[in-house]
Amino acid sequence: MENNKTQNRRKFIQNGVRLSLLLSLGTVTAAALRKVTTDDYVWQIDPFECTQCGRCATDCVMKPSAVKCVHAFALCGYCDLCGGYLKPDSINRDTAAENQLCPTAAIERRFIEEPYFEYHINEDLCIGCAKCVKGCTSFGNGSMHLQIIHDICVNCNECSIARVCPSNAIKRVKASEAYLVKGDFSRKPKA
Amino acid sequence: MKNKGIIIFLIVLAVVIIAVIAGDYLSGRPDKSAPNPFAYDVNDFKNVPEELIHFTESKNFKLGFEQATSITIDSDKLYVTGDKKLQVIDLSGKLLSEINLPDEPKTVEVYNDKIYVSVNNQILVYDPNGSLLNEWRNSDENSMITAISALENNVFVADAGRRKVIRYSLQGEKLTEFDGKADEGVVHGFIIPSPYFDLDINADGDLWVVNPGLHALENYTEDGNLREHWNNTTMQTEGFSGCCNPAHFTFLPDGRFVTSEKGLVRIKTYKPSGEFEGVVAAPSKFKDEGEAPDIATDSQGNIYALDFDKKMIRVFEPK
Repeated sequence: MENNKTQNRRKFIQNGVRLSLLLSLGTVTAAALRKVTTDDYVWQIDPFECTQCGRCATDCVMKPSAVKCVHAFALCGYCDLCGGYLKPDSINRDTAAENQLCPTAAIERRFIEEPYFEYHINEDLCIGCAKCVKGCTSFGNGSMHLQIIHDICVNCNECSIARVCPSNAIKRVKASEAYLVKGDFSRKPKA
Repeated sequence: MKNKGIIIFLIVLAVVIIAVIAGDYLSGRPDKSAPNPFAYDVNDFKNVPEELIHFTESKNFKLGFEQATSITIDSDKLYVTGDKKLQVIDLSGKLLSEINLPDEPKTVEVYNDKIYVSVNNQILVYDPNGSLLNEWRNSDENSMITAISALENNVFVADAGRRKVIRYSLQGEKLTEFDGKADEGVVHGFIIPSPYFDLDINADGDLWVVNPGLHALENYTEDGNLREHWNNTTMQTEGFSGCCNPAHFTFLPDGRFVTSEKGLVRIKTYKPSGEFEGVVAAPSKFKDEGEAPDIATDSQGNIYALDFDKKMIRVFEPK
């Protein structure tokens, strides 16, 4: 009788341990599944809402800003007279500093064939001031636009640029779809 | 005494906390920030001296369209497209008739009581009662028809997607096409960086085509041989700026050009020689960075601007 009692206690403890292990395993599995199936969120700029106010350059906690100009080549007209590259009424259409709109000379102009030129953004030099974006949007096809670059962005809880953005263009997006690049992403028609 | 010190400390702390919160709230808000140090400033080019403005806005009327797309005038009736419809309006703004279209129209031309509308890059031909007379099929997926103009037995169509002008017969038979290249070896003809590629025929029967990448207006024979051209590149009032201007143009009854630009949105007139004459509507008349209005003229020399942003037709008459 005493022996049975001891066996029952031992069995009870064994079952308890088994149950605990099973529960732990279930919890870990559920946590892992949740991590895999749900998305983290990051900050990104909706290029169709951006008004090129310049605050991405001045208000980001990163210096220089984590916001950079990106170029949707599929939308570009490859113009000789590029509104994003040249100052308004520039003296000549060439690469002289006096003619360049970008304050840090972050745009490289490459000759393709007469009269077409390709424009590349040097991300290391770009400060996200959106001057080129304004010129391209006003006088070109709007192929140049701003994006938050996620290997630079520290993903603050409260984005310091989003806080001052006058058009609320900066919003949380899924980390799996972290970029809103023109051409890949189109403005959804308003309901 | 000890309690009094604690109370004073707490009051000071509360004041400091309130001051910090208030300061944080007031500074850095979108409407409280410093001016943009990187502003793209074209304000100097928006100012037009009053003596250069030769037209005045005499009236305007709201459109029944959410998204208008084009305007033309024939026999002093306005033909306006948009929202899968074509509306015929008299010059006072009264709706005369309406034709439902199968899809979104892009451009319209009226010639000899036939209405030519581009829908999905096909050309649909209607009679004034709205009966579909003909449909000219176009299977090229790169096509983007942006303008139509007709004269005698020719219908000229500007295809911005293929950078060509196509000449059809009135029956819809494709007769020829040309790309604006002066010679076989020449690399480029029409330079069309964006979907703005207009053409029109003046009272003398001359076909003029915009070469927007060159800021040029070019006169071609019906077979595509360049006869003459003029261009004017500058951001100043007398010229064209940006990648692709003029976005639209038409003719006054006496042969003067009327041009409409995007970027710096403005409407201007040029003499038949291409010499700048004056301004119809300065940039201050339009929304900043708005769309270039499509334009048409009546027999009295009044200019009708289809203002896409304000969704209205604005009428400018000579001063």
